[in-house]
Amino acid sequence: MFALAIKEIRFFKLKYSLIGFILFLLASLVFIVSGLAGGLSLNNVAMLENSHANHFFLSEDAENRLDQSGYIVDDLLEALPREGGWEPFLIQNYRLDADSSETKLAVTMMPVDPNSFLYPGVIEGTDLSDSEAIEIVVDQSMKVDGVTIGDTLYEEDNDLSFEVIGFTEGQTYRHAPVAYLAETAFYSLELTPHTVANAIVIETEETVLQAAITGAFDEGVWVGKADVIDGVPGHSSEQMSLNMMIFFLIVIAVFVLAAFFYILTIQKLNQFGVLKALGASNQFLIGATLLQVLTLTTVSLILAIGFTYFITTILPEGMPFDFNSGLLVQYSVTMLAVSLIGALLSAIKIVKIDPQQAIGRVE
Amino acid sequence: MTAPLILDKIVKGYQDGKEYQEILSKVSLSVEKGQTTAVIGPSGSGKSTFLSVAGALLSPDSGAVIINGQSIAGFSAKQLANIRLNQIGYIFQAANLVPYLTVKEQLKLVIEMNRNWSKDAQLRVKEALGDVGLGERLNAYPHQLSGGEKQRVAIARAFMNDPDIILADEPTANLDQARSHEIVRLIAKEAKEKNKAAILVTHDEKLLEYCSVVYTIEAGELVKRT
Repeated sequence: MFALAIKEIRFFKLKYSLIGFILFLLASLVFIVSGLAGGLSLNNVAMLENSHANHFFLSEDAENRLDQSGYIVDDLLEALPREGGWEPFLIQNYRLDADSSETKLAVTMMPVDPNSFLYPGVIEGTDLSDSEAIEIVVDQSMKVDGVTIGDTLYEEDNDLSFEVIGFTEGQTYRHAPVAYLAETAFYSLELTPHTVANAIVIETEETVLQAAITGAFDEGVWVGKADVIDGVPGHSSEQMSLNMMIFFLIVIAVFVLAAFFYILTIQKLNQFGVLKALGASNQFLIGATLLQVLTLTTVSLILAIGFTYFITTILPEGMPFDFNSGLLVQYSVTMLAVSLIGALLSAIKIVKIDPQQAIGRVE
Repeated sequence: MTAPLILDKIVKGYQDGKEYQEILSKVSLSVEKGQTTAVIGPSGSGKSTFLSVAGALLSPDSGAVIINGQSIAGFSAKQLANIRLNQIGYIFQAANLVPYLTVKEQLKLVIEMNRNWSKDAQLRVKEALGDVGLGERLNAYPHQLSGGEKQRVAIARAFMNDPDIILADEPTANLDQARSHEIVRLIAKEAKEKNKAAILVTHDEKLLEYCSVVYTIEAGELVKRT
């Protein structure tokens, strides 16, 4: 059965390579678009996804948006020490000047306690410490802008200079790199008279602690990390449109492949009729057809995967692209299923062939 | 010993519009091993229908088809396919070879459909092709063969699963006179040597010299020619 399938592909090379090529293009497009979706998503919310903060206390009317929520936490600090397990989550958008870049660099500044679960640690350079030195650890994506360890980034409005002492990874928020600054340094700048936060965060669910925090404020709700991620402006609409594209690509693949395989089968109806007259069972003929489709699809998918990896190596460095093997397997299996469904349509035709047509018919 | 193929009072007709047309009326026939039986008749006389019924491709309206002592009435499609695979060898008007398989692989295919492929089968393939004079063309594709050569492959293929019955449907329709004689002689020779019951359906009187028994089919009735 398998030999039959392979021999036919080998004999009709052009016909099958054309179909294989279309399969390859469709699969590549699915892979690349989903890689892009993954990359954009990561670029937008990686900081939240990688964060150890799992539960967020946000203002009720903030619609799960961190930037719409705000608290002054002076009272809470007195009532409930941070050793209890909570951290103030504060983000601020800064535009910084760097010697290496002509344009201003947008960063998300995040003052943290370097010993808390909010601080991710460095992959290169020195870690933050509880000092008042205006030093920052930034996401490594800033390397693309020419930023190196030891550079000084300048903030014009408040006349501040930040020294880059280390790089971290997977820390981007709303398409901008996150810069971590020690809390002690941030408050020594006296930009605000109060201790402020966009949200109060905790690592694991703790009913008593959460109730105490709720009680300390007039209003607010506890929201899970997933909902906060969905609340990041642009995230869900961005993902939805890309996922829609993938969905339509797969629908297109179903129809294109079904049409191709159907025509292929129609072309071979006489041949199948003869084979049936010779005693081939439906099972044998359908098996050979499905095996053929399976082989063709598998080869095309392998080529498409290779091509996608090749694409990732030639993409410009700043391009958001993330393609993990989980997605790869998921979409490969989908494509495989799609082409088998297409081929099964032809199976109906095979069952209906009357072997009697082989008798009394001239080629 | 019973004859491998017995047709007993076969009736087969078609609904043609409002009219019922009887193609075969009470056709009875018994073919013996080692013999080539010819069925001759003009076109439209019911030859193809006769062959379809005899070849387990079409069920008769009444009467019995008995293959190796077993009536195939009421067999499922799968059982019929199995009968065709193992007990009947077909030779069609056109050779109907699979275009993308070599001569050797054409024969291998029918053995594979039977899930019987083995070293021994490989020898059988070579031997069968040698018997039909194609021992040198094992790896040729159908498009590289002449009409006569293709038909010989078809003959070798028909004998491959060692069936007891060989059915040949106008196997010379596409061939010239010399080739036609060669092909029919080959079928008769193989049937005799391998002890098979062969039925040759044809309209060509000149080919009857190779057949031991001759039937004429006319207006749906089979008459033995003496």
